Amino acid sequence: MVDIDNLWIELSRNFPVLSGSVCFVETDSGNFQKLREDVIRLGLSESVSEILWSEFQSAIRDKVVPLFWSNFPVRVDTSKCDFELRYQLFLRFAAAVENLYKTFNCLKLLLNRLNKLSLIPNKKWNLNSTLLEALLGQMPTGFNEAVLAFYYVAFQIHLQLHSKNARVLLDADVILKKAECHVCNKKINSCECLSLESTVNKVNTALREMELLDGIAGQSLTSLVQKCIQEHIKETCHGIFDRSFLRQLENWLDETVISWLRKVFSPTCLNTSVNDAETTNIVKGFKVKLTYFLYENVALSIIEQFFSIIIDFPESIPAIDDLKICMEKIDMRKHFIQTLSNTLKIRVLHPGVNTMDILTGYIAAIKAIRYLDNSGIILETVTAPIREYLCKRSDTVRRVVTGLTEEGPTDLTEELAKGETVKDNDKIDGNEELNNWENWLPDSFGIDQSARVQLTNINRSADIISMVVDIYGSKELFMNEYRNLMADRLLTSLDFNADKEIRNLELLKLRFGESLLHSCEVMLKDITDSKRINSHIASDSKFNENKMFDISTFIISAQFWPSFNKESLELPEEIANEFDKYTKAYEAYKGNRTLNWRPVTGRVSIVIEIGERIIEMAVAPTQAIILYHFQSKDEWTLEDLSQITKVPSTILRRRIGFWITHGIIGETRPGIFKLLEEDGKKSQFDTKNINQTLGDEDVESAMASASDQREEELQVFWSYIVGMLTNLDSLPLDRIHQMLKLFASHGVGIEFTQDELKNFLQRKVREHKLIYSGGVYQLYK
Amino acid sequence: MAQNISPEHSGVDTGKQGANSCAAKHGHAVSKRLQKELMNLMMGTEKGISAFPDGENIFKWIGTITGAANTVYAGQKYRLSLEFPNSYPYAPPAVKFLTPCFHPNVDLAGCICLDILKDKWSALYDVRTILLSIQSLLGEPNNDSPLNAQAAMMWADQAEYKKYLDAFYEKHKDT
Repeated sequence: MVDIDNLWIELSRNFPVLSGSVCFVETDSGNFQKLREDVIRLGLSESVSEILWSEFQSAIRDKVVPLFWSNFPVRVDTSKCDFELRYQLFLRFAAAVENLYKTFNCLKLLLNRLNKLSLIPNKKWNLNSTLLEALLGQMPTGFNEAVLAFYYVAFQIHLQLHSKNARVLLDADVILKKAECHVCNKKINSCECLSLESTVNKVNTALREMELLDGIAGQSLTSLVQKCIQEHIKETCHGIFDRSFLRQLENWLDETVISWLRKVFSPTCLNTSVNDAETTNIVKGFKVKLTYFLYENVALSIIEQFFSIIIDFPESIPAIDDLKICMEKIDMRKHFIQTLSNTLKIRVLHPGVNTMDILTGYIAAIKAIRYLDNSGIILETVTAPIREYLCKRSDTVRRVVTGLTEEGPTDLTEELAKGETVKDNDKIDGNEELNNWENWLPDSFGIDQSARVQLTNINRSADIISMVVDIYGSKELFMNEYRNLMADRLLTSLDFNADKEIRNLELLKLRFGESLLHSCEVMLKDITDSKRINSHIASDSKFNENKMFDISTFIISAQFWPSFNKESLELPEEIANEFDKYTKAYEAYKGNRTLNWRPVTGRVSIVIEIGERIIEMAVAPTQAIILYHFQSKDEWTLEDLSQITKVPSTILRRRIGFWITHGIIGETRPGIFKLLEEDGKKSQFDTKNINQTLGDEDVESAMASASDQREEELQVFWSYIVGMLTNLDSLPLDRIHQMLKLFASHGVGIEFTQDELKNFLQRKVREHKLIYSGGVYQLYK
Repeated sequence: MAQNISPEHSGVDTGKQGANSCAAKHGHAVSKRLQKELMNLMMGTEKGISAFPDGENIFKWIGTITGAANTVYAGQKYRLSLEFPNSYPYAPPAVKFLTPCFHPNVDLAGCICLDILKDKWSALYDVRTILLSIQSLLGEPNNDSPLNAQAAMMWADQAEYKKYLDAFYEKHKDT
């Protein structure tokens, strides 16, 4: 009979787990053999094995795992994740894994022994999965940070060693200068990186052996590597757009990250060329994932900075190329559109930005986005808000026209010059499209269906000029503004550059057609004709008799010029006579025609002799006339002067202001102006100063501005509205609009929207001309 | 009066179809003329007279005249309806007072007895002159052919007339 007590004691000696301690004791194999036979003989092998296995499990659950976890803090404050903490976590993790590995090996040996005990080894007893389950079941929250810290340091070590290997021959200086190894934070001489790396390798081996690598570290590894990639992208390519980074980044990913991962997953064979299939597969999976991650992040980074890219275009083409490649792989259109729209809204579309700058941005955006996406969908969607916004700015047309005709930041001049070729291509395009059908691409998806419907009709290949002109949707408006600006230029700069004007005009004609620009042509012709007539009349001997001063005129055909503003000016008789003489000479020369003078516009060269001062300057006619009147009388009241010059007193006061700033006239009492004969204090101005002020004065346009003209047109409607409401008492907005369209627009021939009318009517309500109540308008009684 | 004969009707008789197209063409010409008259009226500066098409039909207008100063009608406002025939301006428009008007030459239904609206009509008249004529008729009635005999009789005493007029309008205020 076997002594059960003895048997138990023997069993406990062989399996210390039974008494609660996890360790492996070498025992005599003879004794064990005897024990085994006894157990089998008693028919207890099954139940004993079961008991032992359950003891194993509880030992793992209650002892091994808590011991392992006790190495880590429950919470790691990631915000203070400085180097020391990381390093500490690193060491701690290494030690913990080492201990765990020791225990694991004990258990493995014990399990072997256990398997020997039973007749048929139980396949279900898997130590690895039991351990993993227990570990995951009790994982403290701070653990992931610890693992992260460990691998962070490990990765740094890898980088350090890796880069050292690569660079050591190139510049030892750099390493020497960095007297500290930034990984182990020790002097370079005592750098422990190499020894640390072996620790890392040991840990990895241990984890791999225990098959814990993926379960415990997988998640942390991924997030670590992703973070690393993000940082790397930020470091290398943030703010640099004139180089392509994609290839470089891919290489970096391959050389650094992937090779490290390979090392982590196959620590036994440091020579990476010797691959076992499993490692290769894991690493391959990682590579695919990470490559996409890389693309995505590059794209995100570029999209985030796309505004700067737009501004830098075309220098930033490489960055757009990168983005193009990324967007082929990952669909980011929606994000792109959203981000860029938002950026534009924040950066451009607010009152603090100059219209010129918005236009420049708009044009750059057109170029950049068109380079990125040929289909025009992104372009339309992204730039629509800019167009809407520009539409609301009153000076947009003016700016565009200025941009078209003058050198500026918008490059519109260049575009215009290119225009000719564009036009020619258009004709071929129709055929080309058909011939080229094999290269047709469908619209990319990911765009709102509703947006797409709107977009189908848009001419996607429209060039930049048309896109800019289309802001307003009408060429006529544009050409009107161009005409106004041209008139201004012609009238203010007496020595204008005709060749340049003509060249611009020809280019515009190619684009917008002859008919719209006919009057501009006449205007230019007027100017050249005037020169001819001037020289002819100047050579007329009759005209030259008793001449007081030279007159040179612009004779303009009122029909073709934009309407002038309504400033008036009465010339003194003496001067008016000279003009009459000119008119007579003209009449003699041209037969049936005569001249209508517009004295307000022009330039007068005068010499002022006052006190001891002699000043020579060129001023506007009104200013000259003001001073002329001071010749006969030293002191004028504003009213008298206004009466004699026929200039309204408000405008007159402004004009006198010019002389006051030059210290020639002073306002002694309100409304009374006196010539300052004696050399006042203000006389220290130099001629430069004068020219400057004159420049300011020049800014005022002689033409009625577009809004003035519009106002005039609306005024016509106002008479109709008054007539309508006088007779029909009260009408709602849409009836008024309809009636105006029916009865008023024939004669005047202008279009207006109901909104515009509403604004106009609301203004009249504010001016107490109308009453608005119950949805209908009435005249104010 | 030659000027009152429409050129279309002065010609030789045309076929029926030709006449129809003629009428359509003429209708267009009339609306064009009315359009032009409206513009002149709107751009004009006459005080106290005004008119505007009543709705989309340009052949029906509503006019407004104010009694001229220094007459018993001073300050009174009258609405009139003007209906233009297809043969306008070769035939006069039908003009009626919408606002009740106590006047020797206006009956209680608003019909006006004014020679230029009847036999003295000329194609040279237009809405503006019609309204001006009616405005002046208010101050200078033709008492020889009254439509409203009571008014014609009372006209002689202007003060009394004015008194009656004010009472009349007080009574008709609501209508």
